[in-house]
This record gives sequence, structure tokens and C-alpha cells, in this order.
Amino acid sequence: MAGKREFTEIKRFESDLEQCMKCGFCTFWCPVYQEERVESSVARGKNLMIRGLLAGDLEYTKEFAARLNKCTLCMTCTANCPAKANIPNVIVAARADTVKARGVKFPYNIVYRWILPRRTLFGNIVRFASWFQGVFLPRTEGTIRHLAMFLSALGKGRNIPQIAPRFLRQIVPVVNRPPAGVETRMKVGYFTGCMTDFVFPELGEHIVDFLTRNGVEVVVPKEQGCCGAPAFLGAGDFDTGRELADTNVKAFENVDYIVSDCATCTSSLKDYAKYLADTPERKEAYARFGEKVYDISQFLVDVLKLPASAYRAAPEVKGKKVTWHDPCHLVRHLGIKDQPRQIIKSIPDVEYVEMPNADRCCGMAGTFSVYYYDLSKKIADKKVESIGSTGADIVVSSCPGCEIQLIDSTIRNKLPVKVMHIMELLQ
Amino acid sequence: MLKPEIVSQLQKITGKEGVLTAKEDLNAYSYDGTATWTHMPDVVVLPTTTEQISQVLKLANENKVPVTTRGAGTNVSGGSIPIKGGIVLCTTRMYKILDINKTNLTATVEPGVVLQDFNIALAKEGLFYPPDPQSFLGCTLGGTVAENAGGPYCVKYGVTKQYLLGLEVVLANGYVMKVGGVTVKNRTGYELVMLFTGSEGTLGVITRITVRLIPLPAASKTMMAVFDDMVAGGQAVSNILASGVVPAKIEFVDNFVVRRIEQMTPMGLPVDANALLLLMADGNPAAVETDTQQIVDILKKSGAKEVKIAKDAAEAAAYWKMRSAGFAAVFGAAHTVLAEDVAVPRDKLAEFIKKLGEISERTGFFIQYLGHAGDGNLHPSIFTDIRKEDEFARAQAAMGEIFRAALSLGGVLSGEHGIGLEKQRFLKEAMDPVALDLMKKIKGILDPNNILNPGKIWEEEGA
Repeated sequence: MAGKREFTEIKRFESDLEQCMKCGFCTFWCPVYQEERVESSVARGKNLMIRGLLAGDLEYTKEFAARLNKCTLCMTCTANCPAKANIPNVIVAARADTVKARGVKFPYNIVYRWILPRRTLFGNIVRFASWFQGVFLPRTEGTIRHLAMFLSALGKGRNIPQIAPRFLRQIVPVVNRPPAGVETRMKVGYFTGCMTDFVFPELGEHIVDFLTRNGVEVVVPKEQGCCGAPAFLGAGDFDTGRELADTNVKAFENVDYIVSDCATCTSSLKDYAKYLADTPERKEAYARFGEKVYDISQFLVDVLKLPASAYRAAPEVKGKKVTWHDPCHLVRHLGIKDQPRQIIKSIPDVEYVEMPNADRCCGMAGTFSVYYYDLSKKIADKKVESIGSTGADIVVSSCPGCEIQLIDSTIRNKLPVKVMHIMELLQ
Repeated sequence: MLKPEIVSQLQKITGKEGVLTAKEDLNAYSYDGTATWTHMPDVVVLPTTTEQISQVLKLANENKVPVTTRGAGTNVSGGSIPIKGGIVLCTTRMYKILDINKTNLTATVEPGVVLQDFNIALAKEGLFYPPDPQSFLGCTLGGTVAENAGGPYCVKYGVTKQYLLGLEVVLANGYVMKVGGVTVKNRTGYELVMLFTGSEGTLGVITRITVRLIPLPAASKTMMAVFDDMVAGGQAVSNILASGVVPAKIEFVDNFVVRRIEQMTPMGLPVDANALLLLMADGNPAAVETDTQQIVDILKKSGAKEVKIAKDAAEAAAYWKMRSAGFAAVFGAAHTVLAEDVAVPRDKLAEFIKKLGEISERTGFFIQYLGHAGDGNLHPSIFTDIRKEDEFARAQAAMGEIFRAALSLGGVLSGEHGIGLEKQRFLKEAMDPVALDLMKKIKGILDPNNILNPGKIWEEEGA
């Protein structure tokens, strides 16, 4: 069924749309195309499909939406495009216009519209789901825990880590001051993100501890919500995106810096201004908010400017070989490439090894891996091959989304590698 | 419109996952790398075996359904656009490298292997396949054979046809035919491999390709020379070629491209340079040193204002990236860009450049150009807007003048892109009429029902 023909969001990115001159170089870089080898997978095909929509040749059909969704927004096409055409911008905008025309379908409408914006309810549902997880699904190997795409990931055979018994928000206080004898150098807000909150709370505790010991007062506002990535980037639900954006802007009103341990959250928080600013007031507020947001490794290196001696190995990683996986949202969306490597290389007692194609997408991409789990697995298998070729004991990243994908895919491929967040390397 | 039975029969051949009929998918196979042409197919078929292709062609031939074979669709001639609808037969899912033989120095591949993937695999074995159309990141080997593609390396190493030893081709009636072999020498009858090379999908579907390889050159050096005057740059190319040294590549970039690229990706290019030559010497390290010195000397004697030698691989890579981004710079510059692909004898390059200047003055159109100066193949472009009927017609007329100027110097209509749809209107002027007629007769023998990429290369009777 076709919806009404309006292109409000697409029109805002018309220059990106026009920039593509159909050379097809993106086919080489696109992780989805490399698996499927069909033109609708790749930026050129999607862009021309959207042009077809504007020209009246195509409609907002189910098939149209299905092809639009088949993109991890990894930005590798743009990074390598001779014309620098940002087709992911156009894809997100087209998802938004599709939602306006067709609405969000069940059960995603319930998740995006109703659950995501209500943090407490969200947490309780996650916990509720975790009981079922214990009943219906085999417990996973090791000590891993996770699950945020709980509703859909259930029953798809994924190696699903467990939900934490206590969420981060229930563990850490709102204000965390440096311990006695450590001078307070600055005050930052900590954006915890859903994954760290519900799945990896010990990571969050560790980050709070590390920052306070290094002279940072850490504020963890209880009012903060989901960054909105699954809603506005994944599903094109800009209304929910704005609701979440407004909540987060307000929650972090009184801090100068906001740090996040999740590449996707960091990038999405910064993207509010680009995608969601529908009024001059929002535009200004989102832009100001976005400027305050830092990835944790970027914050440590560029803002806090910690000396190399501040990076000491956690006991369990001493003597290990470590490799780094670049999250798409860090390396291409934000251009953060050197800072995490600098941190790992500064740690005495760990050996750093660069993996081939470290910046290749892992195939997680949030809702993408829910819609297209088989495809997502194939993309991940290539990543696992890269990791395996290094002989590393530990693969480190800075995005809990990527980490979940890496946990699932290394277990599936029986690769004996530990998946960790970069901050977990540090004492 | 295609009969529904045909679609269900196609699904039986390739499985449902190999047949696309959604309008969204058909739209995605309606174009190639050109700006002017689009046409939707009725169905897209993605076979994975030669046998499937054979059955598809048999079915299409019996039902007289047009079949346009397509690789990655990176071609720039309109050649892979299904202008008569019917089936797009897309080979991108046949991407296996079947054999790399280090001792025979040959490789056999399926048609959907991407050129860059092929060279990455070969480099691991210390081998190299030189034909390098600048679409190497996307283009398939099958496409490069069907278009007889070439690129910068052509100066020293030649184009696709110089590397082909054997092909497997499915004929219009579904018969799977083998021509050529795996030997470097082969004098068995007519050169039928060449018949299909550059045939633009009109004579058969290439399903297996055997090529010869060369060892990966051990060393290379890249040079960049700045000229005040484009004609002097052209003359420098002729001087180098006459001196006995053969560079691996000699590429030409004009001021327009230099400025556009510096604007898109700042890399410290000399934006006031009227013309840049990019050159590469390759081979064993000692020879590369002496060749480089000789080339630099000639460039300076020929009036180069400045000659830079890239200090390392990274700087060299940046220069070549600039060159390969060149056409993006050009294509993004206007709503419609008419780009030609003429080639002139290499000793006529300076003269041809002079004529381009005259045509520009006479017609009032700015003529931008870049190209493979070392093989006399230039891509002059005119910026226009297809929506402005009058201007577009004048731009097309100016292009006609460019083509005729090349022809008057002993040049050809297309150096490497092929005729496809783009250059049909000039074909009669560019070929001996008997030779043109012979091509049509060959087509008639191999494809009596005219199902294979119909409407391409020559203009149809009464069109």
C-alpha cells in the first residue's frame, strides 16, 4: 500500500542526493553489497531508488521500506566516495519520510513510541524479558551479559548475554566526586546508554571510578533516556527521536562536557541537530548539546589530556595481546581513530596488534541485525576472520553494540577471543 | 511486458532468490554510469552457474525476450542499460576466482569477479593483471572483456585484449562454447576470443575467462609535472615516448580538475597549474631509477615549470587517487556532462589539444579534459543541462566537432568506453561501411532473433 507523497526530510538532504554520479565505486566498500551482490543493497542503488520516489516512478511500498532498511549506516561508501556523497543521510531521511507516509509497524511501534521514551518502564520490561530469557534460552558461555533488542532478538538463535541483575542507574549515585586527596579538575555528565545501563553496568561503575580517580566529578542524571538511535536512525521515527532528544538535552543542561562509552550513542547525540531540528529553538539547543558530547577515549586524550602513566593494565589483561575494532560510529561518523589506539599503546604490559580492515563494519547496526540477522552474521564472520588473523587474546572496542555482535560471532565461530570495552583494559 | 510464465520459468532455473521483479529492484538495474539514459528491465536474473545462464538464454531465445547482460554497471557508454526491457542478466553473483596458476602465469575466473578483488588475490602471489579501467573498484572481469577495457597502465602494458587466452561463452541458443585456451600461443583457426572481446554483450554471454598474468613489478616511482600550457604538456608526452623509455602510465589532468579536487579533498595541489602530467615508471628498482631520471630530464626540457617525484608510496597513492577522482570531479560539475572518449595517434596529441581550444572558442562551450595522455586517449567533456533543449543540442553538436577533429587526425571514436548507446550516432562516420555491415552479419549469425543486448552499438534501421 502506498502512502501520501511527501518528501520533507529527503528534501533537506537533496544536495547529497544529487551528489552521486553513479560510478558504482561504493559496491567495493559496502558490507551489505559484498554479501548480497544486488544493486538495491548499495548506496548507488538506494540513492537512485530515492530519486525514483521523488520522480514519481516509485512509491512508499513495503518493498521500498525493506530495501531502505537494509543498510548499516556504516558510512564506508561516503568515506570512499570520489564525490563524497553522503547517501546514509538520504537513507535516514527517506526512512523518516516513509514512516510519515506509512507509520511504524507492529511490534516496533510499541517499542519505539511507547517503551523507549519511558526509561523506568523500559528497564522493567528488559528485566521481565530477562526472566524469560533464563527460562527459554540457553545461558551463554563465559560471564557476558546483554540484551536490549530483547523483544526481537529472542528466539533467533543468537548467543544472547544475560540482563544484569541490577541496572547501572540503581547502582551509581547521581553525583560522584573524586576521592579525598584528588583535586576536582572538571565536572562532566555521563551518558550511560541502554546497553551499559541494562547489560554492562560494571563497565559503567568502572568508568565512574576511573574518571573520579583522575579528578573528574561525574554526574549521572537519572532523567536521561535512550539516545534514540534505534528510533530515529534505525526506524526513521523522528517524532520519538525528538522526544528523547529533548529529554536528554534537559537532563544534561548543567554540565559542560558529556561523555559516553558507546560510539553509537555519542554519534547519535551529536546527530540530533542534523536530523531532528525542526524548529530554530531545537536547532540551537541540539547544536549546543552536540558540541558538549565526547566519546570516552576522545575525552581522555583530547580534553582531560591524561599522561601515558595514567593508563595501567587491569590485572586480567596483563601480558595479553590486544587488537582494536573501530566502530563505524566512531571512526567514520566522528573521525575518531587515533585516540583509542593511543590509549591502548600507552598501557604497559599489553601488546597492541592492528587487525586488517579494523574499520570494517561488524554488521550489528542495531535494528539492522534484528531485521536481517542472517545477513548481519555473514558480515560479522568477515570481522571474526580479521580478528582471528591477528592472534590477539582480546578484541577491544568502544561500542557495546559492536561488542554484543563480536561476542555472538566469536562464539559462533569458536574463536577463543575475549571481547572487551576499551575502558575495561584500564585499572 | 513479460509473460508471467517466463518469470516462473526463470525462478525454476535460478531459484526464487535469483529472480527480481519488484519495481524497486527493476529501478536499480535501469542505469549505468552515464547521465543520459535509463530504462527499466521487466525482470532481473542473478544466475550462479553457466548452466543457469544457458537455460535462461534458451528460454529467452525461444520466446524472443531481450537479454541485457550486466556486470556491476560501472560502464559509461549506456551499454548495460536494458533499452528494450526484457531480462537483465546480472553476473555479479558469479564471483569465484577458479584458478591462479603461478607457473603457467594464468588465471581463470568467473565473470562477476571484481577487478580490484582479482588484483588483491594476485598480489598475494606476486602476480599482476594490468588492464586498469578506473572503475576497477566496482567493475567485473566479464564487463572488462565485453568492453575490452583499458586504463592508465595501457601505455606500457596494453588493454584487456592483450591478456585474454580463453573464454567460455554461452550463445544465444543456450549452447556453451569454449574458444581459445590456456596457452600463451594459440594459432587454431580464427581469433574467436577477439570476436567476443569488446562485443558489448551483443554476441554471447561470457561465463568463464582465462587471462595471462605478469609478475608484480618490484618497484615504481610516481612523478607529477606542472605545465603552463596544455599544448606543451601534450608535446612532452610525445617527446618521452620518442626517447625510448616507456613509462607505465602517463596521465593528463587539466586546471579545472586540479582545482575541483583541491576543493573536494585539499591535498596541496598546484591550483594555478594549467596542466598536470602524472607519470609512473615501474620495473626492477635500478631500471626505475634510471627511467625516472630520464623522464624528469625530458619533462624539464619540454618546458615543465615544476617536476615533483613522490617521496613515498603514500604520496604516490595520493596523486593517483586524485587522478581516479578526476572523473567524479568532472561529473559532479554540472547537471549534464557530455564526456567523450576519443583517442588520437600519440604523436598528434599536441595538435588535438590545439584543436580542442579552437572548438571551445568557436562554440562558446568550455571544454574540460583529462585522460590517458600516454596512449592518446582523452576524455573531453562539455558541461550542459539536458533540460535546456537548445543548449543541449548545441552541446551535442560541439561534441560532434570534437569527434570529427579526432577522426581527421587519424583517431577513433572510442578509446576504451565502447559505443553502447552514447556514441551510436557517430558510428557511421567512424567506420568503413563494409566493416559495419560485416558486424551486423556476424550478429545475425550468432543471434538471429536479436535477443542479446538489442539496440546497442549501431543505430537501428529507421531509427
